[in-house]
This record gives sequence, C-alpha cells and structure tokens, in this order.
Amino acid sequence: MFQDLRSVFTSSFFLNIIFVSTLFLLIFISGISYRYTTALTDSSRLVVQSRKTATELGHLSSLLEEAQSRHAAFILTGDTSLIRPYLHAGVKTGPVLQSLKLLAGDNSQQIQHLDTLSRLIGHCLDLMARTLEWNTGLAADQARFKESLMLGVKEMERIRVKIKDMLDFDSMHLKVHQDIYGREISLSPLYILFVMLFSMLVFIFAYFRINKDLKLEKANNEKLLLANESMNHAEEIGEFSSWQWHLQTNAFDFSDNQYRLLGYRPFEFEPNLDKFLEFVHPEDRHKLKAARREMFSGPQNPLSVDFRIYRKDGSLRYFRSIAKLFTDGDRRPVVIGIHWDITHQHLNRLALEERNLELEQSNKELATFNHIASHDLQEPLRIIQTYVSRIIDSEQARISETSQGYFSRILAALSRMRALINDLLLYSRTTKTEKVFQLSDLNQIFENARQELAQVLEDKQAELSSDPLPEAKVIPFQIQQMFVNLIGNSLKFSRLGVKPRIHLSCSEVPSDPYREHHTGPVKKFYKLTLTDNGMGFEQQYARKIFDLFHRLHGRDEFTGSGIGLSICKKIAENHGGEITAEGRPGEGAAFTILLPH
Amino acid sequence: MQNLPISVLLADDDEDDRILFQEALNEIKFKTEVRTVGDGRSLMEYLNRPEVKLPQVIFLDLNMPLKSGMECLHELKSSARFGNIAVAIYSTSASEEDIEETFVRGANVYIRKPDDFNELKRILEKVITINWQYHTSGLNRENFLLSF
Amino acid sequence: MNLYLKFEVNSLFQKVLENELKGLPVSYTVPGPGELTFHELVPDEVLEAIRARLDQYGIEILENPKAVLIQKIKDAIIELVYREDSLARCKVSVYLSERLRFGYGYLSKLFSESTFTSIENYLILQKTERAKHLIASQALTFTEIAWKLNYSSVAHFSTQFKNTTGLTPTAFQRIINKKRAVAAPGQNGVQLSEHPVDNAF
Repeated sequence: MFQDLRSVFTSSFFLNIIFVSTLFLLIFISGISYRYTTALTDSSRLVVQSRKTATELGHLSSLLEEAQSRHAAFILTGDTSLIRPYLHAGVKTGPVLQSLKLLAGDNSQQIQHLDTLSRLIGHCLDLMARTLEWNTGLAADQARFKESLMLGVKEMERIRVKIKDMLDFDSMHLKVHQDIYGREISLSPLYILFVMLFSMLVFIFAYFRINKDLKLEKANNEKLLLANESMNHAEEIGEFSSWQWHLQTNAFDFSDNQYRLLGYRPFEFEPNLDKFLEFVHPEDRHKLKAARREMFSGPQNPLSVDFRIYRKDGSLRYFRSIAKLFTDGDRRPVVIGIHWDITHQHLNRLALEERNLELEQSNKELATFNHIASHDLQEPLRIIQTYVSRIIDSEQARISETSQGYFSRILAALSRMRALINDLLLYSRTTKTEKVFQLSDLNQIFENARQELAQVLEDKQAELSSDPLPEAKVIPFQIQQMFVNLIGNSLKFSRLGVKPRIHLSCSEVPSDPYREHHTGPVKKFYKLTLTDNGMGFEQQYARKIFDLFHRLHGRDEFTGSGIGLSICKKIAENHGGEITAEGRPGEGAAFTILLPH
Repeated sequence: MQNLPISVLLADDDEDDRILFQEALNEIKFKTEVRTVGDGRSLMEYLNRPEVKLPQVIFLDLNMPLKSGMECLHELKSSARFGNIAVAIYSTSASEEDIEETFVRGANVYIRKPDDFNELKRILEKVITINWQYHTSGLNRENFLLSF
Repeated sequence: MNLYLKFEVNSLFQKVLENELKGLPVSYTVPGPGELTFHELVPDEVLEAIRARLDQYGIEILENPKAVLIQKIKDAIIELVYREDSLARCKVSVYLSERLRFGYGYLSKLFSESTFTSIENYLILQKTERAKHLIASQALTFTEIAWKLNYSSVAHFSTQFKNTTGLTPTAFQRIINKKRAVAAPGQNGVQLSEHPVDNAF
C-alpha cells in the first residue's frame, strides 16, 4: 500500500515536470516561429523597396534623358514645341525624388545620395535653361552657348553616374540585408524540427507513463474493491463492524455490517450518536458515556467497553466497543472503532463461570470431606483404640486368652483403617494443596528424608547414599514426601539377611527420549534414580504399582495401604515430571523420577 | 518442691478425650492438678479470671467450636500474662507443614493424639518432665519444641 | 524489776518469718516448725536476701544434702556437656563417680527418685539442648555438631535428636528461623548466648 502511494506520488511529480517542460518547449517554438516570420516579412519588404527604388531611379533617368533629347532637338530645329517638356521635366522630377526619399526611409547613405542627385538634377536643368537662353533670344552668345552646352552634357553624364551609383548601392544594401536574414533564418527550420522531435518523444514517454499509471491505478482500485469486499464479508462472518466518528462535523460513518448487527439493512437510517444510543440498553448508557470520557481524557486511552443493545426486533445482544482517537490526514480528530457482537462469547463465559462456581463449590465440599475424613472419622476410631488398649491393660487378668486375641485383632483392624484414612488424606492433600514452588537444594531435602527415616534406617542397618544433587524449583515438602515414600518402600521390601543398600543417582537428560510423555516447553530434565538391592518385582507390574490401592503382596506379608507410590506419582506429576519403575525379582528395583530442569 | 502438684489445663471438645487425658495424668508418677474446658472460648474466659492460678502447661485441641486452638494459641502467645505458659497442641494427625506452622506460631509441643492409652501416659509424662526440666534447669524456652 | 515471760517458740518463729518475708516477692506456707515451702521458684538473690535476714536471728537455712548432691550431679553433667574439649569421651558413669566420690548406682538411684528422670536421660536432654543452641546459632554444620557432641555419626545424632524432640534437626532449624523471622521481620536471628543460666534449685 505504502509502495503504491509512493509510486503515485512520483508519477504526479513526473507529470508536472512533463507539463512544465512541454510548456517551455511550446513557448520556445512560438518564439522561433515568430522571429522567422518577421525576418521573412522584413526581407520581402526590402526587396520590394529595392525594386521600387530601381524603378523610380529608371523613371528619373528616362525623364532626364527625354529632357536632354528634346533640348538637343530644339536646338537643332528651333521648334519650341519641343521644349515644352522642360516645363514638365521641371515639375515631374519633384514627385519622383519625393517617392525616392520615402523609399530611402532612414537609410542615411541613400538619403545623402539622393540629396546629391537632386542637387545635380537641379543644376543640370538650370544649365539647360541657360543654354537655351544663350542659343536664342536676346542674349544669344555663341561662345557661351557652346560652353554651357558642353557643361550640360557633362552634367548629364554625372547624373547618370550618380543614378548608377545609387542603383548599385541599393542592390548592395539589398544583398547585405538578404545575407543577414538568410543567416538568421537558415537554422530556424532545424531548430523547429529538432524541438518538434523532442516534444514528440516527451509526449510519447508521457503517454506511456500515464498509461502505465492508469493501469496501476486501476489494479489498485480493484484491490481496494476486493479489500473492501472481503472486509465486508469478514465483518459479517466475525460479527463485528467498523465505524468512524468525525468529531469536527459530528458525522458518523457506519460500515454495512453495523446496520446488520443492529437488525437493519445497510444505510436504512441516518447514523449519529443519539440514534446509536437509542439501541443501547438504558442501564448501560452511562457505562458507554464514562468510557467515552475516559477515552477523551488522554491521547493514549483507547476505549474498550462491553454493553447490551436491543436490536430492531427487540432481541438483546452483547456488544463490545473498542475505539481510539486518531487524527486524519488533514489533522482533524476522528474516532475509529469497531463494535463486536460478543453475545456467544458472553453466554459461554457465563456458562463457564457458573461451571467454575460449581467446581469451586464441589472442591470446597471435597475439602470439607477431607477434613471430616481426617478428623471426625479418625476421632471415634482413635477413641475406640484407646479404650480397647486400656481394657487390655487394666483387665488383662480377667479376660480370657481368646478374647485377648480378638482384642488384638480389633486393634490391628482399627490401626489399618486409620492408616488407610491417613494415607488417603495425604494423597488428596498432594492433589489439592497450593503448589508453591521454591528453588531448593535437593541434597537438603534428601537429608531431611534421611533424618525422618533415621530410626528405620538404623533398625535395618541400611546404607543410604546419593550423588551430589542439584538445586531445583520444587515443592519441598512434596519432594521430601516422595523421597521418604520411595526409601521407605525400598526398606520395606528389603531382602531378609541382605544389608539394604539404597542409592540415589542423578543426571541431566534432554527431553527428547521422553517426548511421548512431555510436549511442554521443557528442554531438560533431572533424572533421579533410586536403586535398591531389595526383593524387586516382575517388570510386568512396573506400571501397576503406581495405581491407587494396588498391592503386589498380601496384607499378612507386608503392611501398607498401597497409596505410597501413588502419592509419589502424583507428586512427580505435580512437578510436570514423571516416575517410572524397573524391577528384577530377587535383585532389586529402580525408581526413576524425571523433574523439569 | 517436687511435691507440689503441677497444674495442667486441657481444652478439648471431645468428652472421651478429656476423660482419657485426665485418667492418664492420674496414672503418671507426677502429681498433677488437671482442669478441663470444652472449647476455646471457655478456655480464654477461665484464664482471664483475675483470681485464677495460671497453669504450667496448657493442652490445646486445634479443632474446637466457638474458638479454634489456633486462635487460642495466638491470643496466649501475644499476651504478656500468658506468654510464658508452655502450650502443647493436642490434636488429631496433621501434616508436617501444619505442625511446623503451629511451632512457628509459638506452640512448644505438638502431640498427635495417640491410639494407645500407655502411649498417651508416656507422652504426657514426657511433656510434663521436659517442661519441668525447662522450668527447673533454666533452659532456653525458645528451644522448647517437642513433637510426638 | 524483773518480768518473767512465757513464750511459744513456734509462734515466735512464725512471726519472725512473717516480718522478714514481708515485702519480698514470695508466697509461702509454713507446713511445720522449721520448714518453709515456697509456692514458686525463688530466684537466687531473693534466697540470698532471706538467708541474710534470717541470719540475724541465728536462723540458718539447712540445705538438704540430697538436693545438694542432685544439684551437684546436674552441674557436673552440664559442665560435661558444655566443655569445649571433645565432650566426655569417657563414660558418664565413670566421670560422675570420680567427680562426686559416690558409687554410680547410688547417684543414679538418687537422681531418678527426685527428678523423675535418669542420669542418662538428663545427659541426653542437656546434649540435645546444647545441640539446639548450636543449630540455632547456625555457626556449625550438623556434621560438626555431631562431632562436637561426641556422636558417632550425623545419622546417630539425627536419630537421637528426633527421638528426644520429635523433630529432625533440619525441621528444628527451619522452625527456629521462621520464628525469628516472624518475631523480628527484616532482622536476622538474634545471637543466643550458648551457655544456659543455671538456675540452681
């Protein structure tokens, strides 16, 4: 999502660059085109001007030649009609010079030329007039006439040269300017072509780029649609809904499922706070308000509150609302939250709680029963025992031997019953007592067990030894109980005439070989093995001996309730470990305890 | 001095136990003066009477109506007047943990009620003897702990 | 002028006792002439004060030779138990008869008659008491204590300790530690003086 956003951003940035550069290119092209056109116009105007100048100059020269020729013809013929054009010529050169002046514009050289020319023309015409005077009329003077005639011809020649100069100058001027323009505009088409090609490239690139972005956007849109769709489905399946509350506008957005959870069709009503509160169970509204206050009291306080609502059809549902205050992209505060229909969970929890309560109750009853078993049940038994012992003692002389035998049997049965009750109590206590684990030195616990059994060990002349034991997190009393029971068991089943040797060995083992028993996270176990050289047992009973009340021997051979090893098993299980037994008849037995590291 | 009877007080709600206790004390070689009460409340009421001569040993059953032996133990041990009286818990079997607990709370003796009359006599005699030894030989009372 | 007085020695004796014992923290009865029975144990200094007060009347406290002998036996046993060199590697019977110059049989009978316990039991009691002190002081291991008190092994020591007190040495230590923790939370146990105050009787 983030990646997409970035690509979109870079794409719009790229488009901006393309737009700006294209704009510049277009301005550049326009500038060049304008200059090109202007240059062309200027050039053609210059050509026209030049042509006109040439024409006018030709006109001027033809006018002068005509005047000269008529002058000459008058002199030869004396026909006055021939000199009429004088008058005309005098008139006609004016406008021509005027238009030439216009054509010259601000070209100072040409104007200079023109001034010289008009002076020469004036001079020439003047000469011609004087020549005529000296030829005819009152002041005819042959010599002067000849001289001025000669002068006139010379003057005429100078005019012609001047005109030719002017023509040359004009064409020179034209040529220079044409060259300049030519240089100026000869590169323009190349520029334009190049720029055009470049623009085309840019456009093609932009096209592909935009096209790609569009495709991406389309794909994203589809993804978004899909996400929306799956969100909608998820909300339906998970029985939850999402909503937003825009605080500035106080507007609410509900997801489709919000309406459904309330028993409506999507957008069936206008979502707002008051409308929603109408659904909430009246007793729970204050709860919701308090939670809302709590949320607004600190920026890190999410709202989480359970309440009841009534659906459109009046059915009661349990909702959980979880929400948090955010700020949106424009830094406007918005509360985003979900509603979760927890009716099932809530009802399940209620049922569980009820069951828990029942369990607690029955546990309490069990504890009471244990108490009765330990105290009230034993009490009368003990009283009977004491009175019987008192009778045997004080009335010994008066009781028959048979009756004394009966009495001792009564006492034996009574003490068996008490032992049984005691052991049962011990067993149930092992099951139910609070499990307080302490890091304890197993050596110390083993020593305690030895001390507890000191008398029996001495009576049996037994040898009890152990490897150095580790420290472990255990319930010390229970482990001691287990040691006492196991050692006691070994002592009880020692072989007649064989000095009992009992040894507790210890090693660390990984959990792998015992995986079938343990799937917990425990990696290592302490393996404690108590080996004896007693009577042992058939391996087929290895599991059975841990069963409650299971005995391998008759009551007459060995006393015991058959609970001791069951207690050991319970204790091992309490520690997340286990106990196994291995027996070889007539050789001995080994009990292996695994305790989590 | 040995000829003065040793005064002993028993609080037990079981009448049979009270009878057996009294009979057992009558049969031992110590001269004793026994008084029995049926529950914890009467025990404390009796002891708090100003004219009463305080006993040397109090035997306390733990399970008693109205006020349990544990409560009595606490009251006795937190009082300056009774603090020095030896307290023997006289109760049905309990776990080692429970027994340790009563010692920690100040009991001096823990007697699991025996199921043999001679055994009861033996125990009571021993308790009285040892208490007497502590009394007469100036032994450190803090260390007076006995368990049967 | 002469006056002739008639007096009753017993009443006089009784009056003297009454006057002299007034103000002393003792309660007593006079069972017969020349006998005084205290209801409780009388501390030494009070006994000494009584002795001094009665002395001015020429009344002398006669000590019971048997009681004195029993006290001597007890003292000897306590001395034996608290002696620092390896405790009485000799037999207690030999030790006592040598020390008190009486036959052991006589001593034993006398002791049992007046103390309700045998010399052997008294020795065990005193040894156990010393063991308790040593355990409570936590300075020594059980092995060291067993050696110090002349037991053949820790097992033997543990067995006798359990037989005498009903508790294993470890349980005893645990209880004492807990008791101290309850009595003075946050403090470690008070160091106890190892020697008992011998309250002569």
